[in-house]
Amino acid sequence: MNRLANLSLIGAADAVRKQEATSRELLHACWKNLDAVNPQVNAVIWQDREAGERAAEVADKAVKAGRRVGPLHGVPMMHKDMYYDVGRLSTCGSALRREHRPSITATVVERLSAAGAYTFGGLNMAEFAQNPTGHNKTFGDCHNPWNLPYVTGGSSSGSGASVAARFNYMALGSDTGGSIRIPASACGVTGLKPTQTRVSRHGVMPLSFSLDNVGPLARTARDCARVLTVIAGHDPKDPTSSREPVPGSYETFMDNDLRGQRIGVPTNVFFDDADEAVVAAVDAALEVLKARGATIIRLHLPVMDAVAAYGGIISRAEAAPIHAQWMRSDPQAYGAHISGRMYPGYAIPAAYYIEALSCRGPVLKAFAAEVFSQVDVLATPTIRTCLPTLAETDIDHGPPGTEHRFMALSANTRPFNYLGLPAISVPCGFDPNGCPIGLQIAGRPFAEGRILKIAGAYQMDTKFHWARPAIVDQTGAEA
Amino acid sequence: MSAFEPSVEAMIKLWHGIDPPNDPARRLAAELEQTIAAFEALRGTLAFEDEPSGFEVALQATKEPA
Repeated sequence: MNRLANLSLIGAADAVRKQEATSRELLHACWKNLDAVNPQVNAVIWQDREAGERAAEVADKAVKAGRRVGPLHGVPMMHKDMYYDVGRLSTCGSALRREHRPSITATVVERLSAAGAYTFGGLNMAEFAQNPTGHNKTFGDCHNPWNLPYVTGGSSSGSGASVAARFNYMALGSDTGGSIRIPASACGVTGLKPTQTRVSRHGVMPLSFSLDNVGPLARTARDCARVLTVIAGHDPKDPTSSREPVPGSYETFMDNDLRGQRIGVPTNVFFDDADEAVVAAVDAALEVLKARGATIIRLHLPVMDAVAAYGGIISRAEAAPIHAQWMRSDPQAYGAHISGRMYPGYAIPAAYYIEALSCRGPVLKAFAAEVFSQVDVLATPTIRTCLPTLAETDIDHGPPGTEHRFMALSANTRPFNYLGLPAISVPCGFDPNGCPIGLQIAGRPFAEGRILKIAGAYQMDTKFHWARPAIVDQTGAEA
Repeated sequence: MSAFEPSVEAMIKLWHGIDPPNDPARRLAAELEQTIAAFEALRGTLAFEDEPSGFEVALQATKEPA
């Protein structure tokens, strides 16, 4: 086993800070696994190893000199390839941006850098963050490290796969309809979508201004807590970012005591047509939470028809103008499933779009009044079904109807984007094909502390988040 | 093909100058009929926000009590 590459994000940061390992050793441990596994999973689409070496050297010198270091000091990272960093490649997963080098740096990248982290490559993703599977026409499909013919989930496909395959300690993903939580679930890692407006989107490729979110995929809930502490908070460069105060550290919420926590399990929508293996894994996870003192309450969720109807058009309407020029001039540069899904967005009436936005507040208030008077959080499967293969969800080459299997992947995640609620996915089991299953925990606006607390407590009593795909040990170099 | 699909395609062409790029586009455009049905079903069930308060206000109104 490649011991250093198997550390959590916090374990890696601690190792550097305590001088138990150098940043350079962490970087090389990641490269060993990357070189062995990436040819099969295709999670990384470009690397800058020289920049990685330089950053590691600077980080190690700072530690040796006894300088005060940040909470992520010396940790190498790669992110979904849509986080702008001046002059560095940012392909957005598309042939249309194959050579794109932005002139601005994302606020979240600046904040991670200020905390001591550095990047050494870019991760595969759905073209323009627009599929939940991991298909990519330009850079090649991303494959699930747990079972290569199966989807990684998307759109942050490389983020999920690289963390699972132990050549990345943490990756930023983006989540407009589930694009952090779906690959987190499918790849057996932990993924957090914060409350809408909690994290700045400045310098992040836009898909849907109203629904886009930035968040981490990492090994553990505690890792996600550390990253959120670093990246959350108002940003003058993103006027839509919230001025809600950020706790000093989200890690302080993680006391593992679930007494008094009321966990709601929906009786409608979220288990419709769910696979038996998924239901069994979620039920077992609920028993773990119950044993820690939580109360499980089954309840019917209100306004879900409105959530589905309104939430279903906003991203399509908002993506349409962003891509209109390319859809006119070069539509074949997109994968068929990307341009095909964007196309109906041009027919959505402005009045429908405004209705969907105008009702968003009232829908959230109606939902919160009924749900959060009964429970503190909701627990659901992240994905209702066992994972499909890439072939089964290949709209570009599959038969009519393939799109329905494809869209089913995001059925349980999309509602929380329209509602703007924070939600986390933690690994909670495996399906009959050896692919991971995820438990989704969602809370009130700005209740990231509470959902991290519950997710962290669950991970105290389970080991699914530490499980490694066999491919890592079969091919990964010994360290 | 129902009358709906050609009308959607014509409208997109007229307003945006965009042709259906492939068959999935045509199939998914046809599914807008379901979107219309979903919006029809919601008529009269929800009131719009009657002032330009924005979604952030709703997030603040529904967050956990301190």
